[in-house]
Amino acid sequence: MTDLINEILATLRHNKLRTALTGFAVSWGIFLLIVLLSVSEGLLNGMESMFSQRDTESMTIEGGWTHKPYKGLTDNRQITLRERDIDIIRNRNSNVVTRITADIRNDSATISTGKDYVTGGYQGVYPSALKSDGATIMEGRFINDNDINRDRRVIVLHKDNARNLFGKKYPIGELVKMNGLTFTVVGVYNHEWNTRSYIPYTTARNLTGGSDKVKRITVGVDNLKNVEEGTAAEQSFYSTLGNEHQFDSSDESALHIWNRFNQYLKQSSAMGALGIAIWIIGMLTMLSGIVGVSNIMFVSVRERTHEIGVRRAIGARPLSILKQVILESVAITTLFGYIGIVAGVIIAQGISVITRDMPFIKDPSVNITIAIQVTVVLIIAGALAGLFPALKSLKIKPVEALRDE
Amino acid sequence: MIIDLKNVNKSYPGAVPLHVLKDVNLQIDKGELVAIMGASGSGKSTLLNILGILDNYDSGEYHLNGILIRNLTENKAADLRNYLIGFVFQSFNLINYKNALENVALPLFYRGISRKKRNALAMEQLERMGMADRATHLPGELSGGQKQRVAIARALITNPSIILADEPTGALDSKTSKEVMEVFRQLNNEGRTIVIVTHDPGVGEQTNRIIRISDGRIVTPDTTVTSQPSIVTSNNPQ
Repeated sequence: MTDLINEILATLRHNKLRTALTGFAVSWGIFLLIVLLSVSEGLLNGMESMFSQRDTESMTIEGGWTHKPYKGLTDNRQITLRERDIDIIRNRNSNVVTRITADIRNDSATISTGKDYVTGGYQGVYPSALKSDGATIMEGRFINDNDINRDRRVIVLHKDNARNLFGKKYPIGELVKMNGLTFTVVGVYNHEWNTRSYIPYTTARNLTGGSDKVKRITVGVDNLKNVEEGTAAEQSFYSTLGNEHQFDSSDESALHIWNRFNQYLKQSSAMGALGIAIWIIGMLTMLSGIVGVSNIMFVSVRERTHEIGVRRAIGARPLSILKQVILESVAITTLFGYIGIVAGVIIAQGISVITRDMPFIKDPSVNITIAIQVTVVLIIAGALAGLFPALKSLKIKPVEALRDE
Repeated sequence: MIIDLKNVNKSYPGAVPLHVLKDVNLQIDKGELVAIMGASGSGKSTLLNILGILDNYDSGEYHLNGILIRNLTENKAADLRNYLIGFVFQSFNLINYKNALENVALPLFYRGISRKKRNALAMEQLERMGMADRATHLPGELSGGQKQRVAIARALITNPSIILADEPTGALDSKTSKEVMEVFRQLNNEGRTIVIVTHDPGVGEQTNRIIRISDGRIVTPDTTVTSQPSIVTSNNPQ
């Protein structure tokens, strides 16, 4: 193996300029591929991080205005969701609904202790809101069923609020005041951008005067598999509530359904398509480099016809000549490919620094998977580039050695 | 008998097929120093190609070292060339980006012998040729005579049964030619079988037997130089 590498290095040294010029084409192709892949990786990371703070297997339903007349009823009626809709949705769609929560929000409420206060509001929720909102419990617990059933005055604080109010990280069991009522802190949660305090839904309803109006119902649909199922579930919610609230189930403005499940799938597949497109662009750019390598290998084989003849005459088997040409091609491609990779990685790092504060792109780096993929691409490309010149070299007969140059 | 050709025929296909070798019979014994002579177009190059397993023949039999050389695969032919034959060429055919030592060692590379071992063996051969001090020189830095010594060292490194030389002095001046021929004679004295293809009667003179080929036939299958002085002088302008 070492001998083979030495042989290859000797012939590469022999044709420095030509090798360098062709090598540049390969470097350029790989460089573009690396930069494009790292940017797409960054976009993917950005998207992943946005979705990670959000439950992607849920849909949020809000009431809207009808735009179609229905059974003698006029259009332009407001549809208001009621508490009983929660059970109706769950019971009539039990095949898709895995959890359900409604919430009441108040964004102006002030939470205070004897020493300090924070604004930021509260959110009356059911236990499954923890998952729907994409929050994580750091200490203590979240709202549970008993809290709901008994209208308990318990509260789960965001970690920042907990620290601001109590000056310590986990003030479990401490008391806070809100709307003149005293709440017991039962948990501390973390979320990237939502800082509302969580209280039981029923407790919140009592605070707002006991109305059964529901602003928003969030349905967990953890068992759906594809966009078709997601759309079917959405349709099913339209017809369920259409029956209940007397509107045409095809009247899309009667309800606002935020189908986060489908949105996630569509964005994922769009990102997947972007990835494929980048590979295709990169490969096509590489192609010109490969054709170049193939071309110099042809020239090299032709120039060295006599030499190959001599090698054959003194006992080289055809396969060893084939191997040498192909490995030479792989060596050129890989060597210059790696120059392109290094340049690409440096540029990707630069992009990473420049886009530090942009939310849609995150860590546009070249990970080990990309490096391995590109290496495999380089070796295959090099072998392909060398294949035809190598086959041509096989046709050289040892008699060539006797021909005068 | 190292070389044994029986009724070997060879023709090149074409609109008018060219019958290059016609019923060639040729025997060369171990330890002989033989010249094959003939004008250009006489078929001596074709004969050399066949002797060197570089080309096929159409009919007849060729035994080299007791092995029938016929319908060989490329691999088998390459191996036989490597093990049985040492080539010396008119234009030396050294690889110009490899130094003298690497050139001499090259045949052993194709035998899969380790670099260290084959370089040691190559050095030994260069020493025998008096070229040890030029081991790291590239062919471009050597004179014609030196190049041919390197080429002979390369032919010897595999310890072949026979050395085939194609116009080994064709590119050399007369003084260097003499030196190279002296090397061949010395190798022959050590027991090497050497076949030199040449059109130079001066070279033929220094061999022990001349085989003349004309129009594809062996003309004088068993002439020694001394018995045919007239032919030698008639072609010799020097």
